[in-house]
Amino acid sequence: MVDKGRQSVRQLLMSLSIALAGAGLVWGMVIARGGEWFKTGLKFFTGEGAGLSLSWKVDGLTVFFLLILLIGQGLSSLYAIGYLKEYEDKKKNLWPFYANWFLFLGSMFGVLLANDGFSFLFTWEMMSLFSFFLVLYEHEDPQNRKSAYIYLVMTHVGTVFLTAAIMFLYTKTGSFAFDVWAGAAPTLTTLQLNLVFLAFFVGLGTKAGFVPFHIWLPYAHSAAPSPVSSLMSGVMVKVALYLFLRLVWLTLGPGPVWWGWLFLLVGALSATVGILSASVQSDLKKLLAFSTIENVGILGMALGSAFLARSWKNDIAMDLALIAFFWHSLQHMLFKSLLFMGAGNIIQATHTRNLERLGGLLKRMPKTGFGALIGIIGITALPPLGGFWGELMLLQSLWVNTSILSSGWSKVILPLFIGVLALVGGLSMATFVKWFGISFLGQARSQVAEKAKEAHPVQYITPLIAGGLAVLSVLWPAATLAIINLPLSVLRTGTAVGIGSAIGKPLYMSAVYLIIFSLLTVVVVTLSKRGKRRVTATWNCGSPLTPSMQYTASGLTKPIRILFSKVLGSQRLVKRDFGGTRYSLRSLSYEGRTKEVFEDIFYRPSIRGLLWLASQIRKLQEGNIHLYLGYLLITVIVVLIIGR
Amino acid sequence: MDELLTMLTRLLMGLGHLALILVVAPLLQGFIKKSKAFWQMRQGPSILQPYRDLRKLLKKEELISEHASWIFFLTPRIALASTLMAGLVIPNAWGWAPLSGWGDLFLFGASLGLVRLFLTLAGLEGAGTFGGMGSSRELFLGVLTEPALLLGLIVLAFITETTSLQGITAGLQSISPIFIPRLLAILTLGIVSIAEMGRIPVDNPDTHLELTMIHEGMLLEYSGPSLALLSFSEQVKQLLLIILLAQIIWPSALISGNVGLLGILWPLAFVLVKVTVLGFFFATVESLFVKRRVFLLPNYLATSTASAILALVSLWIIRGQI
Repeated sequence: MVDKGRQSVRQLLMSLSIALAGAGLVWGMVIARGGEWFKTGLKFFTGEGAGLSLSWKVDGLTVFFLLILLIGQGLSSLYAIGYLKEYEDKKKNLWPFYANWFLFLGSMFGVLLANDGFSFLFTWEMMSLFSFFLVLYEHEDPQNRKSAYIYLVMTHVGTVFLTAAIMFLYTKTGSFAFDVWAGAAPTLTTLQLNLVFLAFFVGLGTKAGFVPFHIWLPYAHSAAPSPVSSLMSGVMVKVALYLFLRLVWLTLGPGPVWWGWLFLLVGALSATVGILSASVQSDLKKLLAFSTIENVGILGMALGSAFLARSWKNDIAMDLALIAFFWHSLQHMLFKSLLFMGAGNIIQATHTRNLERLGGLLKRMPKTGFGALIGIIGITALPPLGGFWGELMLLQSLWVNTSILSSGWSKVILPLFIGVLALVGGLSMATFVKWFGISFLGQARSQVAEKAKEAHPVQYITPLIAGGLAVLSVLWPAATLAIINLPLSVLRTGTAVGIGSAIGKPLYMSAVYLIIFSLLTVVVVTLSKRGKRRVTATWNCGSPLTPSMQYTASGLTKPIRILFSKVLGSQRLVKRDFGGTRYSLRSLSYEGRTKEVFEDIFYRPSIRGLLWLASQIRKLQEGNIHLYLGYLLITVIVVLIIGR
Repeated sequence: MDELLTMLTRLLMGLGHLALILVVAPLLQGFIKKSKAFWQMRQGPSILQPYRDLRKLLKKEELISEHASWIFFLTPRIALASTLMAGLVIPNAWGWAPLSGWGDLFLFGASLGLVRLFLTLAGLEGAGTFGGMGSSRELFLGVLTEPALLLGLIVLAFITETTSLQGITAGLQSISPIFIPRLLAILTLGIVSIAEMGRIPVDNPDTHLELTMIHEGMLLEYSGPSLALLSFSEQVKQLLLIILLAQIIWPSALISGNVGLLGILWPLAFVLVKVTVLGFFFATVESLFVKRRVFLLPNYLATSTASAILALVSLWIIRGQI
């Protein structure tokens, strides 16, 4: 009886969420038709005059990210209809979830629309807060509480930097408006400009998940319920990247060349470290979260290439890098949402996140598995799906950037990033073959995997919709490019990049490739269809095959772990028990571990430093009343001197 | 009407391109086997043996593991289709590639990557140890070869100022054959090709000893037509890599205008000679060396990455841009 009511509440609220997303999309389509305001922006609710006024603006750049937000919202809300059912069965109160869900979405909306520092910071903090509550939703698990705590701390460290930069710009200009800042940016000294940039870089980079500010991301994104994970990984990190364009590209201006290098370096570092950590993970969702860091890194590299091209006045490379950035943002949102939904289905079916306990799920959950297969092809940046074409653009932009440079060592360093991207590609293939192959293929490695059942229809249809959208974006590259042209018209001047132009033409290849590839596959399949088939046992040298004979998740990427043991901080502990004798081994235990190297080389020293500082400051507090009176006296004297 | 005609011509030329690749691939395999037999002082199987093997396999019954799913069935088909996609960007005897535009050199590596993805998944299908072992090593190898392959090709792209493979081979004609960056890039690609072809010292294509195999490990569960398709796509891949190398070492001209029958047949004969020489070369390399341990491979493949970087540095130094 009660369940009936709760069920309708769930369906109603999530449908409302979908309807809002749909309405937003339709509204966007309608107003996107009439042209010029994309460049200048449409302002509304702008309080005139001085003081604190919240002002908002929509322009082409916002519209693109609103599209990502709304598609992400629609997909994850639809998925949540099925996913939340389990909480209902467990009699868990869902109202906190609903409330935070809508507030989280609303605050992301606000961040995208904000046109001044104050409303930006306000909505930004709301976004952090409500996503924190959502991460904390399954608070019964102490691990989740720890994850949420790390998230809260890190996100505030980021906000400190943002607040500092915003307050500085406010004192300089006397206004919070982005437009005023953009006007004042050229008047800042180089040092001031660079410091503001660095503050933005750290603040926004923390939210985006740039290495070394990434440590919260794998915890938070994997602790949250799956629809929230897909929103956080698919949409929230993009919101942070959007602000790089809004606050740095558009407000602070071109800046010195090293900004581009910084983006490129940190991007390459994030991509490599992220995917390396992902490749050795055995946790279904943590692996995906680490891969988000990788993709954010790739997006960072695209930004870097764009910034470099901008300072070198290389329009072709800049256009390519920007198209790569937006293309990849869109594709990553679709694929990462898809994969988190697939992970959610597996978790609900087996109640474990440990890859080592899964296996053979493709036979038990065929539709989830099919969706996930599309997802891994997309996320590993392989043709014929969209992930590849974004990376192609990025590689090409790095190439153009290099070949147009007249001289200098940059001509050697830039192409190395092409090698880094290839390395990341190889590693991401290993990662996702492991993610998919260990969980879906082979034999079940535990009872829970053996008893797994296919998820609620909504839960496998939604990933398939995401996959379908991804395929559509490749099949109809002209439309995708038209969408990408919206933000381009804000970020650059000149004519729009058409599908027929020299830059746009290769995107045409994406559709051609997909069609020829499908045709070839169909031809080969039909030609080789005939013939007898017989199902037999796997050949195992004649002995019976047990599930434990399969390669494990950690075993599959063990060579990579050995090769990169320094970066991964991998350790092995082997305990041999000879039971008193010298010759016969009684028992042997092996434990392999990896750790976050950045926690060791970056965070622990800084925490130790902070604690040391605190203990030094504590020395002032002797508990002696005379000393405190002395402090008061000194303070009064100092104040009098200063205020003289 | 004219447009339709050009499109139709291009389509026919593309189909001819694919047909040529398909027909020649097993022949090259037979030739390499024969050359190896020569070094081992054996008679060796006939040069046509790969065709016979394929025909025999295609007729046989197929055994499928009870644990395998539809991916197991799909993999050989995708592998062949995707290898052929890689073939579409490789310039043929006449220096022409059906798909060309900027960036298609990335397409070559990525298409081969798709083959690798499906093969490694299929290795895990059988739920046995050997398949997993093969997959694990193949993924490891992929991590090592991909940067080298891409960097090697990128250097050539910088030399010729285009990222299309067709453009690269056309552009290389006006570059001296002993231009140092070019030689270094060829070294890189040669080493990577050995790894990609699954030959000694990286992998041993002839062994079926479980502990040493990489590529064959993933195919262990395959039989009948599926095995035929997989071996066939491996032969096609081998041909593509060798043609690519041949075209880089000594490119043949892009045919222009009317040249008569002899003019059309001459480049074909020329490429056959080049491919034969290279095939014999790789057979010799395979006969001279031993297979290396998996964990010695990073050093071996790092050599190729290093030579690509060296090629890049020397290119800019020679051009006076550093």
